[in-house]
Amino acid sequence: MSSRTDLRATLTDPLVRQNPVTLQILGICSALAVTTSVATALTMSVSLTVVLTLSAAAISLIRRHIPDAIRLIVQIVIVASMVIVIDQVLQAFLGEISRALSIYVSLITTNCLVLGRTEAYARHHAPLPAAVDAFGNGLGYSLVLLVVGALRELLGRGALFGHSVLPTVDEGGWFTPLGLMLLAPSAFFLLGGLVWAIRSLRPEQSEAPEHTPPTRTAEAAE
Amino acid sequence: MMRGIWTRETVALLLIAACLPLAAFWLWYGGPGAAARLGLAALVLAAWQLVFLLVRAQPVCVVGALTALAVAMLAPEGLGPWRLVLGISFGAVMGELVFGGWGRNVVHPATVALSFLGFGFPAFAWPEIALPVAWAAIPAGLIGLVSGVMPVGVLGAAALLGAAATGAGLVDPGVLPAAGVVLVLLVADPVCSASTRPGQWLTGALYAALTGLFAAGWHGAAPVQITVAAALLTALAAPALDETALAVWHANRRRRHGRT
Repeated sequence: MSSRTDLRATLTDPLVRQNPVTLQILGICSALAVTTSVATALTMSVSLTVVLTLSAAAISLIRRHIPDAIRLIVQIVIVASMVIVIDQVLQAFLGEISRALSIYVSLITTNCLVLGRTEAYARHHAPLPAAVDAFGNGLGYSLVLLVVGALRELLGRGALFGHSVLPTVDEGGWFTPLGLMLLAPSAFFLLGGLVWAIRSLRPEQSEAPEHTPPTRTAEAAE
Repeated sequence: MMRGIWTRETVALLLIAACLPLAAFWLWYGGPGAAARLGLAALVLAAWQLVFLLVRAQPVCVVGALTALAVAMLAPEGLGPWRLVLGISFGAVMGELVFGGWGRNVVHPATVALSFLGFGFPAFAWPEIALPVAWAAIPAGLIGLVSGVMPVGVLGAAALLGAAATGAGLVDPGVLPAAGVVLVLLVADPVCSASTRPGQWLTGALYAALTGLFAAGWHGAAPVQITVAAALLTALAAPALDETALAVWHANRRRRHGRT
């Protein structure tokens, strides 16, 4: 019973409470680069989740046989093999989205989220919990990507999945697309806003301040 | 007797007083449309200050009036109320209030709002600064200097370098009205410019240099757009300029007195 609860917690914790992107700020390079539309964000999310889950399971299976000194090389080789397979599948069946994602699928190899989970969790746990943890982290990453991608596409183009939702001025509607949303800085703003919102709702996630501002002289004199 | 008079609000009030000539001339030439924009901007800023007062107990600051003036004067024209509200909200919250209010921000909230509006809605034209309004920037700067709220180095370096570059024919004189107004309203803000003396001179020089560079190389950009971009980059560079000034001071001290 307890192991089932543990598995559930392992799966659901990374969604919000231990979200890899908003709490640990891992994997944001790709999270910022591919979120100009929901379709690319979704494809990237699925790719990363599949790669992460499979490589975590594979590394966990051979965890007792990997020498410590070369563990990073072994992990990267396994992750890279999975990435190549996913990249080939995308090129074969989703050509257009594969071109839109350009190098970012290949860069999953160096995504710190993937290596972070394999190094921190899969190396010390049995294949099932490792795969569940990796899948949960993949879902947490996907959740952030989809939220940011949906906001950027909606505000930047007035559309979702390429279908017009808010009629834009060019099409005779009322909505003026916010061009800034399609540029890189907006992803930072949105991600920052998301982190802020989550930490306001869950104050235990916020870090202790590094500096305390000096007290005002008037207050200090009193 | 005078102790305790220099609080944040005193500085804010003196800054507002310094910018009154600018506001008066701008309102005179802008008419009711300008007044409506100023009112809208002030209302939005007051609302956000109230929200942060109630939610985070951050004290309200009158400097919002100055931010409102800067946004209303320099924002692209014909945006309509909703886009203006969006841009001002973004600038006020992301540029100032999340950092803990005026005094702890890195970039002027009006600069953030104007950059947001410029990048977000590139189709709208930037305003022209009328010449009499630009002349009013000179008394504004002087009042700021005399009352001590605007950094001497920033205004001095920008004015000297700007005058020299224009005299040498390196800068298009058409940029100068916007450059003067943006200098007084956004760059010479005591919070967003450098804090050390040499850093302040470097800040002013950097602003003048960036304005000259953009005016020469950025084809098709309006003067206000050029100067706001220069103000944004200058404010972002200000902490680095302070660091440079401190590093030079430490190096000099080490050279004179040895390692202490």
